[in-house]
Amino acid sequence: MKVSLFITCLSDAIFPRVGEAMVRLLAKYGVRLEFPKVQTCCGQPAYNSGYWDDARATARTILDAFEDSDFVISPSGSCTEMIHNYPKLFKDDPAMKARAEQLRMKSYEFTQFLVQVLGVTDVGAEFPHKVTYHPSCHGSRLLGVKDEPMALLNRVKGLEFVPLPFAEDCCGFGGTFSVKMADISGAMVSEKVDHVKETEAEVLVGLDMACLMNIAGNLRYRNEPVRVMHLAELLAEGAKLA
Amino acid sequence: MSAKGTAKGTLGTVKERAGLALNDEFLRKAVKFTTERLRNGKKNAANEHGNWDQWRERGRAIRLHTIAHLDYYLNLFVENARANGVHVHFADTGADAVKISLAIAERKQAKTVVKSKSMVSEELHLNHALEKIGVEAIETDLGEYIIQLAGETPSHIVIPAIHKNRYQIADLLSEVAGEKLEADTTVLAGFVRKKLRESFLEADIGMTGCNFAIAETGSMVLFENEGNARMVTTLPKTQITLMGMERIIPSFQDLEVMATLLPRSATGQKLTMYMSAISGPRRSEDADGPDEMHIIIVDNGRSLQLGDPEFQELLNCIRCGACLNACPVYRHIGGHAYGGTYSGPIGAVLTPALNKNIAEWDDIANASSLCGACYEACPVKIPLHEMLISLRRRKVEKGHGNKLEGAGMKGFSTLLGNAKRFRTVLKVGQIGQKLVVRDGGIRTKIGPLKGWNSYRVTPSLPKKSFRENWPTLEQEIRAGLQEINPEMKQRMENIVKNRQQGGGHHHG
Amino acid sequence: MADTHEQWLREMEEQSKAKQASFMAGIAQKLKHPRVTEAPAHPFRGAPDFWNELEWSLEEKIERFSDNWKSVGGHVARLADMDAARDFIAAKAQEMGAKYIVRQNEAELDSLGLEAALPDARVSVWNTDPDVYWKARSAEADFGVVMADHSVAYTGSVVVKSSKDKGRSVSLLPTVMMILIPVDKMKTRLGEVLVEFDRAGRDSLPAGIHFITGPSRSSDIENDLTIGVHGPGIVYALLVG
Repeated sequence: MKVSLFITCLSDAIFPRVGEAMVRLLAKYGVRLEFPKVQTCCGQPAYNSGYWDDARATARTILDAFEDSDFVISPSGSCTEMIHNYPKLFKDDPAMKARAEQLRMKSYEFTQFLVQVLGVTDVGAEFPHKVTYHPSCHGSRLLGVKDEPMALLNRVKGLEFVPLPFAEDCCGFGGTFSVKMADISGAMVSEKVDHVKETEAEVLVGLDMACLMNIAGNLRYRNEPVRVMHLAELLAEGAKLA
Repeated sequence: MSAKGTAKGTLGTVKERAGLALNDEFLRKAVKFTTERLRNGKKNAANEHGNWDQWRERGRAIRLHTIAHLDYYLNLFVENARANGVHVHFADTGADAVKISLAIAERKQAKTVVKSKSMVSEELHLNHALEKIGVEAIETDLGEYIIQLAGETPSHIVIPAIHKNRYQIADLLSEVAGEKLEADTTVLAGFVRKKLRESFLEADIGMTGCNFAIAETGSMVLFENEGNARMVTTLPKTQITLMGMERIIPSFQDLEVMATLLPRSATGQKLTMYMSAISGPRRSEDADGPDEMHIIIVDNGRSLQLGDPEFQELLNCIRCGACLNACPVYRHIGGHAYGGTYSGPIGAVLTPALNKNIAEWDDIANASSLCGACYEACPVKIPLHEMLISLRRRKVEKGHGNKLEGAGMKGFSTLLGNAKRFRTVLKVGQIGQKLVVRDGGIRTKIGPLKGWNSYRVTPSLPKKSFRENWPTLEQEIRAGLQEINPEMKQRMENIVKNRQQGGGHHHG
Repeated sequence: MADTHEQWLREMEEQSKAKQASFMAGIAQKLKHPRVTEAPAHPFRGAPDFWNELEWSLEEKIERFSDNWKSVGGHVARLADMDAARDFIAAKAQEMGAKYIVRQNEAELDSLGLEAALPDARVSVWNTDPDVYWKARSAEADFGVVMADHSVAYTGSVVVKSSKDKGRSVSLLPTVMMILIPVDKMKTRLGEVLVEFDRAGRDSLPAGIHFITGPSRSSDIENDLTIGVHGPGIVYALLVG
């Protein structure tokens, strides 16, 4: 059984600790993640901006990277969701489209894999802190990852969960949106951080580093001492695997 | 009023218009408050009703079916409406619809037209055209009446005057009253009731939009809360209804589904206070209702969506405004920033789609973080977030792409399409960032980081990327690896087997 | 003038019919199919099947209707019979000082005997005198008294249909609407009423069918709810039986 890590370019370059947490957590269950080095980015920035030729170029790299994998696990619902768009990207190329369909079937967001595939909700973690959760839009709305993170958080010992007001509202990242429409994006992330502050949580947890980087950036800009973590990191730390 | 009052003209881009909105504290608060109220109302109503997704699915199925056979159903509607005594007209363009409306007004020697809310009429800028031939057009929906007095356009499909406060409204109405009116909702609404009651009774023509048109009976259906649409269709001698060509549903039975979806999605109501089905002018023995009734069926860009696999579903829209209320971008910038008749996510797609001028409206499609809240809120499940991407793609394909962005994307795919080059980029970044990193973060506001860093601190790159650290990590894991839990192994094997047997149903 | 207008209408009609063919052909062409002239199979007609099974008991219907009507700011009175309804209306007219009353010209309302019960008020019966401008008569009325043709518990709605004897204005223009609802005919779901219009067919439909679900209202000024913007602000649902 070949289970591959699709690290995503953001976690690869900026947040390697998220990938490390995933690798260690799964190793706990005897699942050895392998890491195809030819992988790069899922192509979402180009896809969303309308540059599908460029998106296809990176998609091909991803398709090659995971050709032999049985399961492809990523720390981002958004990048996994992007893989779900590959068949559309190759709709005029039956051979590529078939490969894209295959990859789509194999791709899982991290908590989906843990809960749906392995059947794990209790990783034996203890984390005695006040925690709130931001469900990223693509993961929760488009990929449908809603119950899995809550199931995992509920089983962490000592964790005090505080619901985030208007949790489902976008944090304002939106990829190139945050650059092209910087002021609107800024207003959105500021509102998100206002809500995070209302919870008085010590830790904000999520499933997508892009959104978390956005929120953490505004928290830091405002000197708010809230710790921002990927759920994999929280679980690994709580299970003393970090 | 500031420039945001004029929907289009003074300022060129959505970014500039949004900038004004973002700096208007009252506007932002009012829009936030209203959309939150409506959004929560909708959620509660949908939950209370139950099985919401099944209802959405049914609504979508009815709309898809009707649009897929629009030539049949529209034709059937026309025949039945004529049999009911309605004069039916066809308008390919907005200009045609205006021409027909003006011709009727002139024939009737009309002095006054009372109107109930109609988004189609906003598309046509009809009031202006009527005024030019000396016909007074009076909007009678309270919110529409207010913005008409202010010389503005609606900023929300359902709550047109969302951007006005009671003091501004009191000033506008005081001018009409010729005396100072108190800035009290009851006083203001009471004044409008009295004032417009006279207009309803005196007007020559009543003009309406159309929420749904029932093909099998030739009836047009209006949803409203104030009663002004009933006034407009009951009192004047002539009624003109402007109807988008896609408003059709087959039967009254199908209306139950629309009546279940529309009010709940729009305002959280079980039903609007009034739902009226008008089937032709008054019967000869009736003592009220119009003597003469016209329905103008308007294309104005709608048929361009037919047969287009990416945009045909736009015609399923029932104009509830739920996507506006759910949209975080709309909430921050309000309706006028979109610069067209329709605002919010539906406007961002509909405006360029109806006009087929992607280049001109390109920036509207960029005013979205593609969060998908609009799709989730839509009672007929229109994939607006995907349509926005399609618009962006078509713009690029037609060569209207931003040159700088295009070059950037080319660079992106070149660098990120290949792991070796990606690794090189990382190295350059890790070294190069030393110039700007302070305390583990980047705060500089120059170059591409200007907008981003006006609201955030950018994280610096760690010393080693994941891939650089992988060999060490792999060693560590291999050293301590346990046997896989047999039950988990079985689960994984079952999933793979099921997949190979074409058990195509995917998770998520 | 009338002749020329009729003539003009005929001309417009000719133009419209000519245009109709090309309009429909254009749609068919864009949809990439030949003109559809036979009714296509419509497998999704109306509400989902599970919904059509919902049916409440009479008492539950009455309770739900009342809750709904009250929740939007309407008033409800449960009355044993038509005599009780007459007494209720008369008492309210006294209490509110209603001087002008307009009512539909229906047998049930004739036998109500409102005129005798309210000797000081002027009770006008819709469309009984060709010299009266009935719209204005309704507009100046304090009370409009109407019979519900149908009622629906799930949404808390009453339905009125227009005819020679039943003005649309009577339920719309007066300050107060009094609507009498025979409870034994109350339906659970909207669809139960709507399907009747499909069954009746185009020929049998009145010019106006109005579903009324409470008082006229608006939240257009700063989200502040106001009642009675254009239509009646005070609405009484009189549940009879």
